[in-house]
Amino acid sequence: MNTPIKSEAFSIMTQATAGLENPAIDEWKAQGGKTIGYFCSMLPEELFLAGGLLPFRMRATGSEGTDGGDSYFTNNNCTFVRHCFSVALDGGYDFLDGVVVINSCDQIRRLYDNWLHKDISPFVHMVALPRQSGPDQVEWYTGEFHRLRKSIEEHFKVEITDKGLREAIAVMNETRRLQREVYELRKRERPPITGAETMAIMVAGTAMPKVRYNELLRELLTELETRELETTYRARIMVTGGILDDPTWMEAVEEVGGLVVTDGTCFGGRLMHCDVDEDIVDPMEALSQYYLADRPSCPRMIDTQVKRKNYTVDLAREFNCDGIIGEKMMFCDMWQVEQFMMTMDLKEEEIPFLKLEREYITSGTGQLKTRVQAFIETMGK
Amino acid sequence: MTEAAEVKIDDPGIQRFREERDQFTNLGAMIGLIDDPEVKLNVRITAFVAKARQKIVDAYEQGRPFIANNYCTAPELGLAMDLPWFMLFDAPFTLMGRQSLHEVIDESVAMGLGSDLCTAIRTNIYYVEKNLVPVPTAAVGFVFPCDGMPMLHQVMGHSSSSWRDVPLICPDPAPYFADGNIESIDYFANELRKTAAFLTEHTGNKLDMDKLKEVIDESNKHYELWQEYNDLRRAVPAPHGHSMGGQTCYSMAQIFGVGDPDVTTWFQDLVDLTEEKVAAGKGVIPEGKKEIRLFWFDLNPTTFADQFMPWLEEEYGAVMVMDMLGYHDYTTIDTSSEEEIWRGLAKRGLFDTPMVRQSIGTADGFVKDLHRVVEDFKIDVVIWPGHMGHKEMLGTYGIMREACRELGVHFFDIRMDIWDDRYTPIDQVKDKFTRFFEAAGYA
Repeated sequence: MNTPIKSEAFSIMTQATAGLENPAIDEWKAQGGKTIGYFCSMLPEELFLAGGLLPFRMRATGSEGTDGGDSYFTNNNCTFVRHCFSVALDGGYDFLDGVVVINSCDQIRRLYDNWLHKDISPFVHMVALPRQSGPDQVEWYTGEFHRLRKSIEEHFKVEITDKGLREAIAVMNETRRLQREVYELRKRERPPITGAETMAIMVAGTAMPKVRYNELLRELLTELETRELETTYRARIMVTGGILDDPTWMEAVEEVGGLVVTDGTCFGGRLMHCDVDEDIVDPMEALSQYYLADRPSCPRMIDTQVKRKNYTVDLAREFNCDGIIGEKMMFCDMWQVEQFMMTMDLKEEEIPFLKLEREYITSGTGQLKTRVQAFIETMGK
Repeated sequence: MTEAAEVKIDDPGIQRFREERDQFTNLGAMIGLIDDPEVKLNVRITAFVAKARQKIVDAYEQGRPFIANNYCTAPELGLAMDLPWFMLFDAPFTLMGRQSLHEVIDESVAMGLGSDLCTAIRTNIYYVEKNLVPVPTAAVGFVFPCDGMPMLHQVMGHSSSSWRDVPLICPDPAPYFADGNIESIDYFANELRKTAAFLTEHTGNKLDMDKLKEVIDESNKHYELWQEYNDLRRAVPAPHGHSMGGQTCYSMAQIFGVGDPDVTTWFQDLVDLTEEKVAAGKGVIPEGKKEIRLFWFDLNPTTFADQFMPWLEEEYGAVMVMDMLGYHDYTTIDTSSEEEIWRGLAKRGLFDTPMVRQSIGTADGFVKDLHRVVEDFKIDVVIWPGHMGHKEMLGTYGIMREACRELGVHFFDIRMDIWDDRYTPIDQVKDKFTRFFEAAGYA
């Protein structure tokens, strides 16, 4: 068993991850700040920051069931949307002043329809995401960001200036740089931090003011520089897949000897793989270029399969991983087929790969642990 | 038919098309023996399918280019550019003979595709992976209206696929908002223009705008006649149920007979025949039964509808008056200028075509269609098949149920796989209907 990370920074971060509304948000709101929820890592947090809003990445941590959601979705819809909508119907997102949705997948876009239908939030905006990442699509997506900008300005009575956007980009690039430093430490033979702890840190970054978060990350990095995990692990694992915001899932993997040393998930490594180009004159175009074309995408973007494969293989090698676990939510068509292709790609690369399906809320980790144990066994570790 | 000895058989996909051509031809010959004008009209459909397959086989054997395209990415381009085309995504619709659909479904799961993935996507991926789709000179991808389609296209381009070197263009449907705003239409029109240029680049065949105009003028006639036919389906008693019109009109106008003058004749004959039936007050259901008018709000389960829809008609007088693919909200394309032609094709592909029009947009679009169908066709019960793969439709379940309540019509939710009759076995489907009709006071 590892000694817990001591710094207060980590404790604040885990508080932000453990539930939805957290002390950092309460403090922000107490000062009159507005918060805005957003679904999907393809949406530009910088735009919200420049509008003086606190961005909160939507999740349904702590949801106890899908009863409410099940009245509007079916049992063939993923449990992420069903939990989110249940929480919404129960008022669990009332601390948000608005929500921005994106048609990142079929289920999320229907969440938008239901959100409007049940009048959940005072402000709801939908962003149209292209399926490809070429110049024409970047241009379209820039237009979408302009529409979002205008919509925020009108509803929240704020002005989003280019100067404000450039400042927000600088803050977010600093966040990404610091997060990469954390990941860099995990390349060590005995990393200073577990995968579950890293996930808590990454999720916290989507649920508290960014400047404060950056301060906490700096503080945490100081402690991590000299820390070393005490437990001996049997295998170094990379996790890849769709939405995963629950550190207890990672814990279950690590409890049976698979130390998660890196990931390609949308609450993790894909958030900070590279930076927004601050040299592009128009900050809106820079954001569009980054979110649509530059950062690693999920399988939604049809022209990125080779890029995604290379990203996964390169990361696994860079972090000296023994194997990769691909996690996907039940009823997610995109990750379903992605795993199908990944199985062939990783076999060719001779990287062991385990496909796992999961429900949004981690419960009963016995089966998960058994499968991970067996996976580690097959790798001869 | 070509002599077997002269046939090149090196492409298993072409071989499959030859087999399907023969099977549809034989099916037509067999059913054609039935002396019934409506049956004879349906027999002609098998001939159109066989003809479409033959065109691909001919192009392959003669070394001419042919392409894969789709029903909502300007299928008119094929004829206008003298490029025989087939729809990649037709495996579960045309599958005959070679393997049963059950076998294909089971093998796709064994191959590593999960059973929660839409069966239509699974079976098509299986066909691509097993090299059972002819490898075209170039392909136009279709990355909407659901998450499964973009994934199918990525498998096509994957290093494991025999399609990996096929030049592929995917017109991007970035615009989301469903009401046909001009910005969205212009965006997609530009994507279609690029598609034509792409096809020229990779096949050498040029687009003749006069020829495209001619094809569209002909296809406009299809849509006008289809609309006339649908207007006739409003009649009480309903002249036709699941076995006529509906989905077949869609497959003729948008897949197997795009711009074909013979198909115009077929539509005209369908209208004439139906007019006679309506004038005579003849319906589908047995005389003496009170008609229950159904709207099937999804694709028709073509491979097993025959196992329960005739039973519905006979047992309960319940007739499928309209279905999602049969519902017509097309406008004709203005061919007076090049710009209007591209806009028209874009609008037709994104905002008129059933399934795409509903699934790509907001749930509001679904609700508007529901209102219009229920009112225009005097619907008593909206059937929500709840196809396991249509995640985007499943996400409107509550909204649709409430919309039906507001409209004062019954909403009946089945939950099935519209391609796999083992998911909810026919007996269970029938049992659900029985219990529903009893509870709703119809039985």
